[in-house]
Amino acid sequence: MSIDITGVRKTYGDFVALDDINLTIPKGQLTALLGPSGGGKSTLLRVIAGLETADTGTVTIEGTDATKLPPQKRNVGFVFQHYAVFKHMTVAKNVAFGMEIRKKPKAEIVARVDELLRLVHLSQFSHRLPSQLSGGQRQRMALARALAVEPTVLLLDEPFGALDAKVRKELRDWLRRLHDEVHVTTVFVTHDQEEAMEVADEIVVINEGRVEQVGTPDQLYDEPANDFVMGFLGETTRLNGALVRPHDIHISLSPQLAGASEGVVSRVLRVGFEVRITVLTDDGEEVGVILTRTHARQLGVEEGVRVWVTPVSGATTVPTMAANAG
Amino acid sequence: MVKVSAPVRWTLRLLAISYVFFLVAWPVGMLFRRTFEGGLENLADALGDEDVVSALVLTAQVAGIAVLINLVFGLTISILLVRYEFPGKRLLSAMIDVPLSVSPVVVGLALVLVYNGRDGWFGKGLEEGGFQVIFATPGLIMATCFVALPLVIREVVPTLTEIGDEQEQAARSLGANAPQTFWRITLPSIKWALVYGVVLSLARSIGEFGAVKVVSNNVSGKTQTATLMVEEKYQNFAQGSAYAIAFLLVMVCIACLVVVAVLRPNDEH
Repeated sequence: MSIDITGVRKTYGDFVALDDINLTIPKGQLTALLGPSGGGKSTLLRVIAGLETADTGTVTIEGTDATKLPPQKRNVGFVFQHYAVFKHMTVAKNVAFGMEIRKKPKAEIVARVDELLRLVHLSQFSHRLPSQLSGGQRQRMALARALAVEPTVLLLDEPFGALDAKVRKELRDWLRRLHDEVHVTTVFVTHDQEEAMEVADEIVVINEGRVEQVGTPDQLYDEPANDFVMGFLGETTRLNGALVRPHDIHISLSPQLAGASEGVVSRVLRVGFEVRITVLTDDGEEVGVILTRTHARQLGVEEGVRVWVTPVSGATTVPTMAANAG
Repeated sequence: MVKVSAPVRWTLRLLAISYVFFLVAWPVGMLFRRTFEGGLENLADALGDEDVVSALVLTAQVAGIAVLINLVFGLTISILLVRYEFPGKRLLSAMIDVPLSVSPVVVGLALVLVYNGRDGWFGKGLEEGGFQVIFATPGLIMATCFVALPLVIREVVPTLTEIGDEQEQAARSLGANAPQTFWRITLPSIKWALVYGVVLSLARSIGEFGAVKVVSNNVSGKTQTATLMVEEKYQNFAQGSAYAIAFLLVMVCIACLVVVAVLRPNDEH
């Protein structure tokens, strides 16, 4: 196992950033730390890198106890949200930095920089200054710089957070392909569940300083451990006191399935190919249902129409505390 | 920008130009004219005078050493103020501005109180140990350091704050230790601010008069700096020499300002 975190706790004054974290991050995989802002995921990443020290607990990287090691001795690559490029150095110099510190032979450095810049598609920019690059290019350069030291683990802190949506999506695909080529153990922090599910082999959901669930994207989506994970990984609505995905609800104009709740369509909103319907059930619940445009037209759902709604068989549902109380 | 009418615009320009002209340009221009009234004679006379040369050399020495000391301490204090949290930080920051607000004469007097050889707190012990501060070069350097202290710090602190510590953290994660990070990342990032601070303190150090006057006993060839010599020459009706030395001092400061003006655009990087 590549990274072992045991009993890590970190507080800032009264604020508990990390509350007794126990986590094992597997070797050679792409792991996402997913959670809302301020949930502690960045702090955990910085603790792994040695940029923050935990109050208690240990961090082991590839079998070496790294808890007391300063960042420069941990052999981790770190990529920052705002790139942290060395502004006064050219792109090639930036990438070469870690190797120059390690006093590698000149020829080897030149060759490796060349190879890495090709890998991140920045070969033609090697003599430019970072200020002449776009955000996406700067982040790719930062990645090459981190990879240059052949780190045991690569840590990325919201790497695409400062980029616009289109570049984000490109870089996300690119990171996945890059990881398939390089195979270095990679941990990245994100608050975007789509990003995590698309890129990661494994997702660790972190909220309020605690690990809520660890699993593959499919596991988390299909078998969420609690209502927080269910809610964070996608849209949810409440039906019969349970959380269910709006697209997992069967809707009909006549009572077809046993146990279906009866209600009235109170709102129909069309967004592109999907139709979002709000049903007010007789039990007083507001249920959101998502249908495709075609399906909605076939059914003939309109505002004011009486309908029956029930989760489709096999749908993921999670009972909620609030519903139990009500 | 808000548009103002033409008469207002012209009045404002005229006001600004005449203000600077009557306060700075004309007096300095007169100084230049007087210096060269008899051709190069005044300058040649002054530079032929052994005492004048030694005063200029002393000023250069004192200013040079003071700037070097302020550079090292200014840089250290700046990094301390920006990168670290400690009790009394705000007090330290406020103390650094004291030299800007206190009259240099007061600075000189304060130094004399503490370091004089007869009843000064430290002065007595130092003098017994054979190290004279007041009425000697060390006192001149200390007084100059004091008045120029904030200039490096006030230049470097904003730049250091602006660049943040992410680049330094990145360098650390790439394997650089603290000294390597400082030389390769921090220093190049604040290079221009540092140069600007040094040039400003150099100009200030060369021109210092009040504080130096108090701690110097004004012995020609020993503790008389160029500014003190200008005063003495002028009072002794040797105006020609006084103008010539003043002219040299002004030229050095102008050279400093030109250097700054040339460097400043590079700050954008």
